[in-house]
Amino acid sequence: MKILKLIYTLGSLNVSDVARRVKLNYTSTAKHLRILESEGILQKRTYGRIRMYRFNEGSKKAKAVAGLIEAWEERPAEKNHGH
Amino acid sequence: MVPHQSVFKDESKLDINYVPQKLPHREKEHRLLMEFFSFILHYPEKMAQRVIVTGEVGTGKTALTQNFGSTLTSEANKRSIKFRYVHINCREHRGSLAPILHRALTVFEPSFPARGYSADELLTFLLKALDTENTHIILALDEFDSLVEKEESDAVYKLTRLQEMRQGLPQRLSFIFIMRDLKAIDRLDESAKSTLQRSIIHLERYGKNQLIDILNDRVSMSFELGTVTEDVIDLVAGLAFSQTGNARFGIELLWRAGKYADSEDSEVVEPECVRQAVSAIIPSLRRSELASLGLHEKLFLLAIARFFRESDEAYVSLSEVEKTYAVICEEYDEQPNSHTQIWTYTQYLSSLGVLKTEVLTIESRGRQTRISLPTIPAVELEKEMMVTLHSERA
Repeated sequence: MKILKLIYTLGSLNVSDVARRVKLNYTSTAKHLRILESEGILQKRTYGRIRMYRFNEGSKKAKAVAGLIEAWEERPAEKNHGH
Repeated sequence: MVPHQSVFKDESKLDINYVPQKLPHREKEHRLLMEFFSFILHYPEKMAQRVIVTGEVGTGKTALTQNFGSTLTSEANKRSIKFRYVHINCREHRGSLAPILHRALTVFEPSFPARGYSADELLTFLLKALDTENTHIILALDEFDSLVEKEESDAVYKLTRLQEMRQGLPQRLSFIFIMRDLKAIDRLDESAKSTLQRSIIHLERYGKNQLIDILNDRVSMSFELGTVTEDVIDLVAGLAFSQTGNARFGIELLWRAGKYADSEDSEVVEPECVRQAVSAIIPSLRRSELASLGLHEKLFLLAIARFFRESDEAYVSLSEVEKTYAVICEEYDEQPNSHTQIWTYTQYLSSLGVLKTEVLTIESRGRQTRISLPTIPAVELEKEMMVTLHSERA
């Protein structure tokens, strides 16, 4: 979820950047990203040696995850309004 | 205490990065750009275009191209055509091609690694991103001179010969090269130059009346009604005109003058606020130059400073200022000089840039010399003249 939230917020990220930001090693990060890609949530674009991952705009699963992240991010704001 | 009401309604409309929806006196050039790039709305994959936009500082190059970019983008959106306008200032990237291309790539890949890639690789990646997104872009390279200066023909060659290496593939990349004048590309070799010089739009410097229109337009968007008089706009336009017709200078001056008005709790922007603003931007007269003036030139200048300090007018007639001069002469126990002599002082002070003079023809009254004090705040000038006169007589 941490990886998904990061990519959703930043738009697109390469493997080593994700690894650095979530403090995981490169191999594990690449594995997580591959799984998320095979689930159809993420999409990969390759530029030479670089693999950039982003949300798969056409996927229902990706939309659902994006909706969850949005709802999650809204929670503190609701609390502030006294709900 | 009731807080003072600002003269501004929305000062963001005077910001250097604000792009107005309509650009007075650039309609023709806007239409021309639309003509050059109209193919994007019909067959974006079939062709690409390169246009050069030239013009002095403050002639509206950036505003024109950004305004055009937003018009074309909204037209393309209406027709569901995938198009992006990407405006990049080359000087902000120190005139290096790789960071410029990286910046363009981040439009499609926001977190693309900033280091480790050559300009050639980044150009290939950019095209790949455009192919994947099935998008045509106009890359507007502002201050293109800095790129030419740094990377010379090689960079231009890479950018413009790109499509030749992509035979049979859709056209993705058009360019607008923005620079002050064509001299910048003189240093390129003939072949690079020939790939550039196809369509050129030159923006002439604005005339004073055009600057008045532009400033009026911005005033109506950014200032409260009635806080900026016609005289003040005329004064600012005159100053902007003397700075090579620089509209940006005039707009910045308006903003600063508004800030001075607010800081003095003034309900309107006085000419004195403009003078204070301009003295903050243009280095005003050096003290040594003032000290070298003759006694009556100093007395006359003190008269002008005092007149403007006490008045909220932007201009004064020579005959009017002569009256103040006579009073000052009395204060200093001096015999006032003749009108002809005073006229000579006016011309001299004007040539030094302390004053600005204009000759108006007024029906039934003949010609009249109108004086303004555009760049030095009257308060400062009065203080300076009194100190100089005092030390001279001590």
